[in-house]
Amino acid sequence: MLAAAIAVGLGALGAGIGNGLIVNGTVNGIARQPELRGTLQTTMFIGVALVEALPIIAVVIAFMSM
Amino acid sequence: MDNYTYMVSRQLKWMFYILAIFVIGWGFTDYQTIFAGLILGAGISTFNLWLLQVKINRLGQGVVERDEKRRTLGMLTRFATAALAAAIGLQYPEVFNMIAVMIGLMTPYLVIIIDYFLTQTELTTRKRGE
Repeated sequence: MLAAAIAVGLGALGAGIGNGLIVNGTVNGIARQPELRGTLQTTMFIGVALVEALPIIAVVIAFMSM
Repeated sequence: MDNYTYMVSRQLKWMFYILAIFVIGWGFTDYQTIFAGLILGAGISTFNLWLLQVKINRLGQGVVERDEKRRTLGMLTRFATAALAAAIGLQYPEVFNMIAVMIGLMTPYLVIIIDYFLTQTELTTRKRGE
């Protein structure tokens, strides 16, 4: 149980920091140049999706180990 | 239609194609538990993909319109749906293969990466003015 909680918690922590950095950069970029919104959103989407892949695996493995 | 909207519809289209292939495999082959697991994982991850696309679009819209309301990306919802898929797979091991559920959950990331590289290649090999 503790191992599962640690796995999910650390995965979510990393994803939270990574997502925060990505969203920070994108929001800054869109606020400065709103006409680039489509391109910046595309980059942000790929970044956020790839960052969240690992914590999702962590959640599933944590459930399996419980 | 801008870059982002085009990419969103393309990725969802590919996910539905893959889901259709899984359903055909479930109906016409003997590997029913594997394909049921793939359908469960890919179905839930398609929902996750759609949710992420909608949330990112809302965030961008909010920034452009200077909307002060707090926007989130729905990370907790996506984790919860992945946990739901794992819980269903673990609850009914005779129906769903757990490894297949995990592979199904990772399908959209494959789609995103392949789609990105294909689009990049298309954009970079295109000559100016085309």
